[in-house]
Amino acid sequence: MNRGEPAVKTRPAVTATATGAALAILLAACGGGTSTSGNGGGTATAGVAAFNAGVGSVFNPSDAKGGTLRLAHSGDFDSLDPADTYYAYSWNFIRLYGRSLVMFAPAPGAKGSTLVPDLAATLGVPSDNAKTWTYHLRPGVKFEDGTLITAKDVKYAVERSLDKTVFPDGPTYFNDFLDLQGYTSPYKDADPNKLGLKAIETPDDATIVFHLLKPFSGFDYFAQLPATIPVPAAKDTGANYKQHVVSSGPYKFDTNSIGKSFTLVRNDSWDVGTDPNRKALPDRIEVTLNVNADDIDNRLLSGDVDVAIEGTGLQPAAQGRVLGDPSLKKNADSAAIARLWYTSINPDVAPLDNIHCRKAVEYANDKVSYQNAYGGPAGGDIATNMMPPMIPGAQKFDVYPGGADNHGDVPKAKDELKQCGQPNGFSTTMSYRAERPREKAVAEGMQQALARVGIKLTLKGFPQSDYFKLYAGKPAYAKANNLGLMTNGWGADWPDGFGFLQQIVDSRVIRATGGNTNLSVKVPDVDKLLDQALLTTDLVAREQIWSQIDRTVMDNAVVLPGVWAKTLVYRPSNLTNVFVNDGFGMYDYLALGVKK
Amino acid sequence: MTVPLDLPDSARRAKPEAGLAGMGGTIQGRSLGQIAWLRLRRDRVALAGGLVILVLVLVAIFAPLVVRLLGHPPTEFHEDLIDPSLQVARGPRGGISWDFLFGLEPVNGRDLFSRVVYGARISLLIAFLATLLSMAIGTTMGIVAGYFGGWIDTVISRLMDLFLAFPLLLFAIALVGVIPDHGFGLSGNTLRVAMLVVIIGFFGWPYIGRIIRGQTLSLREREFVDAARSLGARSPYIIVRELLPNLVAPILVYTTLLIPTNVLFEAALSFLGVGVQPPTPTWGGMLSEASRLYTIAPNFMIFPGLAIFVTVLAFNLLGDGLRDALDPRAR
Amino acid sequence: MIVFIIRRLVGAVLLLFVVSAVTFSIFFVVPRLAGATAEDLASRYVGKTADEQQVRQMADKLGFHDPLVVQYGRFAKGIVAGADYDYGPAAEHCPAPCFGYSFLTQAPVWPDLLDRLPVTASLAAGASAIWLLAGVATGVISALRRGSIFDRAAMGVALAGVSLPIFFTGLLALGIFSYTLGVTAPGSSYTALAEDPAQWAYDLILPWITIAFLYAAGYARLTSSGMLETMSEDFIRTARAKGLPERTVVLKHGLRATLTPIVTIFGLDVGLLLGGAILTESTFSLNGIGRYAILAIGANDLPKVMGVTMVAAFFIVLANLVVDILYAVVDPRVRLT
Repeated sequence: MNRGEPAVKTRPAVTATATGAALAILLAACGGGTSTSGNGGGTATAGVAAFNAGVGSVFNPSDAKGGTLRLAHSGDFDSLDPADTYYAYSWNFIRLYGRSLVMFAPAPGAKGSTLVPDLAATLGVPSDNAKTWTYHLRPGVKFEDGTLITAKDVKYAVERSLDKTVFPDGPTYFNDFLDLQGYTSPYKDADPNKLGLKAIETPDDATIVFHLLKPFSGFDYFAQLPATIPVPAAKDTGANYKQHVVSSGPYKFDTNSIGKSFTLVRNDSWDVGTDPNRKALPDRIEVTLNVNADDIDNRLLSGDVDVAIEGTGLQPAAQGRVLGDPSLKKNADSAAIARLWYTSINPDVAPLDNIHCRKAVEYANDKVSYQNAYGGPAGGDIATNMMPPMIPGAQKFDVYPGGADNHGDVPKAKDELKQCGQPNGFSTTMSYRAERPREKAVAEGMQQALARVGIKLTLKGFPQSDYFKLYAGKPAYAKANNLGLMTNGWGADWPDGFGFLQQIVDSRVIRATGGNTNLSVKVPDVDKLLDQALLTTDLVAREQIWSQIDRTVMDNAVVLPGVWAKTLVYRPSNLTNVFVNDGFGMYDYLALGVKK
Repeated sequence: MTVPLDLPDSARRAKPEAGLAGMGGTIQGRSLGQIAWLRLRRDRVALAGGLVILVLVLVAIFAPLVVRLLGHPPTEFHEDLIDPSLQVARGPRGGISWDFLFGLEPVNGRDLFSRVVYGARISLLIAFLATLLSMAIGTTMGIVAGYFGGWIDTVISRLMDLFLAFPLLLFAIALVGVIPDHGFGLSGNTLRVAMLVVIIGFFGWPYIGRIIRGQTLSLREREFVDAARSLGARSPYIIVRELLPNLVAPILVYTTLLIPTNVLFEAALSFLGVGVQPPTPTWGGMLSEASRLYTIAPNFMIFPGLAIFVTVLAFNLLGDGLRDALDPRAR
Repeated sequence: MIVFIIRRLVGAVLLLFVVSAVTFSIFFVVPRLAGATAEDLASRYVGKTADEQQVRQMADKLGFHDPLVVQYGRFAKGIVAGADYDYGPAAEHCPAPCFGYSFLTQAPVWPDLLDRLPVTASLAAGASAIWLLAGVATGVISALRRGSIFDRAAMGVALAGVSLPIFFTGLLALGIFSYTLGVTAPGSSYTALAEDPAQWAYDLILPWITIAFLYAAGYARLTSSGMLETMSEDFIRTARAKGLPERTVVLKHGLRATLTPIVTIFGLDVGLLLGGAILTESTFSLNGIGRYAILAIGANDLPKVMGVTMVAAFFIVLANLVVDILYAVVDPRVRLT
């Protein structure tokens, strides 16, 4: 993160049903075999291009191998190393050269967000009240050099991912949940095999057992993290490993010029017999880095590039061209993602410490203008509360209706201002990430909308690389600099209310040192509800709590929801087997093939 | 010598010693000013440049009035005139009409005419102030170096070399990034503008400094300086009363020629995203946003670009005319 | 002569040293003076969910706890003598000139720079060839046909040329030639010369012409005024009186005398461009030194910024040095002090 390259940062956004293991296995069986097309709910659309033909079904299904898949990136990966990457597109792409214990099914529609075993033969087997999780590896899976992959390689991979000075970018779930007993890094490990971590046991070469600090029923979601992709200790070069990651998947690195480009070619040691999930259609995969985003779009439209790898959708210029031209529009898909663009209302800053002043902001907000800033209807739907409707159990409600035309309720806002004791309005500052034109547009629109009731906004842009670490995300700075409103955005790591809400509404994740994403929610009731939800084993009851949290936050008027995001993605005509994977909110890179 | 932007400016890099040699006011009878004015009056192109500048300055000063007569407030949204899915103005020509002379900004439908008009304020303000600063520092340093010579000259000359060896645009961007967002009793856009003035002005002084130093070197050997010295005049007196009046011509010429460079410098900084905060419009900032959208909204790019072009051209024309008028040897 | 060159060389090295110290101060001293702690600086380079301990470890690893002098010394030593870098399981030696490792990607900076240099060099080479030829030719013809329509038109275009920001002409050119007419390559196009020379030229022709348009304008003006001045000098009259054909007078005597200052400026311009054509590379999205610098500054990747500043300053200093020496060789009137 904080690389400043992608215009829109997409963290792993996982949607649809948080399934129990049984259901997932059922679906995995259904979607098993070498073909993912035409099974279950997904219908295959053979070659007839139409808008959204790649959503919920496979477009241009094919088993034809060969050709080169060309991808382009407007910036660079945070890292190609499985221990050091935290982007949805990267987790999507890494499955081409790495096999984690479990994975999201490469299938269209809701199936894409279900977990299926990958390196493991089955999903995890919990014991000790879900404090211990056991996986058995598939036999015969090999690294690119032909050596057999053992449980020790997986253990070593997880161990090294714990070292955040060498791999700062990856998620910290294993650091937080494993019973580390002080273990920090295999690079500082006294054990001769560098396998000193007690929290992971490998009783034999095919079995790996994880011991957690506290029960966690969703551990399979951890097991799908790239950190469980095996790494041979002998080939590990630490921060340099990304130069040549040793492949366990169908492709391996051919050339790799960091920051510029890299190519993957077929890995001869990969055996389709050990892998029910991967089609591996193209012979070769080329990725070009640091290409201007608008130029990528132009190349997509001209057929010189097959996929914009970040999956964040077309830029405004290309969006206009595609939506305005039916012959182009039929090749586009609008993918909903579990992401909310919103504005945090800071209760630390006077007079927003008064709930009525915050409510005045909510009522005065122009929802249509907010949506326009994100590209209009193509950029997403107007959000009225926090949880995107695609998250299971999410309920849509509107505490602060914006009048008949959604442009805001000025009389209500003025009324709230009176109750706040600021009948003529007040002044405050609104922050945004300077490199993001859309957030700037939000701020400018907000300034116009709030001016109608006398609230004067000063706009302030900050470099996005420091936005959360030094400015908006640092409570003392935000308070001292009067940042009353702060643009924000969040995509779920996790396909349920916990994964979406916890990082942005739990007051206990706020650190005085900065780096927070929760900029404004400090509501004791919310914290209580969160704790209650973790103790609630019943799925339906738990989902109701998530919704209750959502409502409590909205009632406190500390979050101003903007847009539930959608991305407009383009599928060039030579792509085959195209579909949006709901688990990632973008095309499934594992399934793609090309016409030669 | 060379300008920090990757674009050239012949004015700055003309070898000063060669370019303005003999410009020191030896002509008898009519004063230099009178002669210059006579020459300038005949130079229609330069006068046209001057006229354009006058209009620009008036437009900048009376921007609110101009906008009230011919446009809409520069921050007012007109989203109803924007096609929500295409994000650009409905209808042809980017929304150019009698109501919106330059059309509409994509996404939010602001009046481009008003924004270009208001953009003149920031551009000209920063360019003028920064040039003044460069001129003040450059003149002082140049005279001091040229007049005193010796180690003082060496130090100042090396300092100028040092400045010229810095990749300035890079530096300016980096500096804007590390400077805090309030301080010196200023905050918000006032501070941003002040900071841009200081950075642009501070990096510009060696260009003027070199020229003034060269002029001073030749002037100080002249008879009238010797005469003053032999009459017991002190250095400050000689510098202020004898040298400075004779340096007015080159100072005037190179100041005029530095303004357009600074307009470009400011635009470049805004283009690279380190200008003033929105919603205050700047030409460079508009171009920067237009660079993502110009294929679907060409007017968003063309009008701010033309504004920069016209401004810079006008100053260049006037500056050239002034140089020709003040330099007896010019064509 | 040799003493002169040595003196200038020493001066140049000293200059680079000062540039590096000032650059270092801007990025390392100014934020500290503004009240940032070592941890504040380090917090930029840790992951999203890092806790205090991880921030402290990162500050340690990047050496932010050391006194600034020590930090600068480490940087300077790396350039001269190389440095070792801890990759986790093993340390790697980074040979001189080592500009350190990116705070973010942990990749060594120097190979990155070498990688970007060909793009910038290609840009500078092609553009400078075009602007030199076009500018000087236009200037000569203008001077010879003073007052003609050609002269007025050429000088008008020249003035327009120096008055246009390259990010405007660049976008305009892309919009017209690449996206409307489709005759030139779109933005972000670059092919290595060694790979395919024809494609290389095709990809770069638009940025070349865009840069050249701006530069040629200035050169035409300089050449023209220089020629006018030269042609009125005594030795030209002498040459004419000797009965030499006008062509010889112009090209052999007139132009040669005019060219000296042009060559000087040419050298400096090329030096400056090699240090990164920031605006051009940004407009055309070419991954040269300039765009690298912009991205590095945006990401606060200080070793990269230091590296790129040093390289840019190096080219400027080098160009100055070469020009000074050439000048001294060509023009006997220059005193070698």
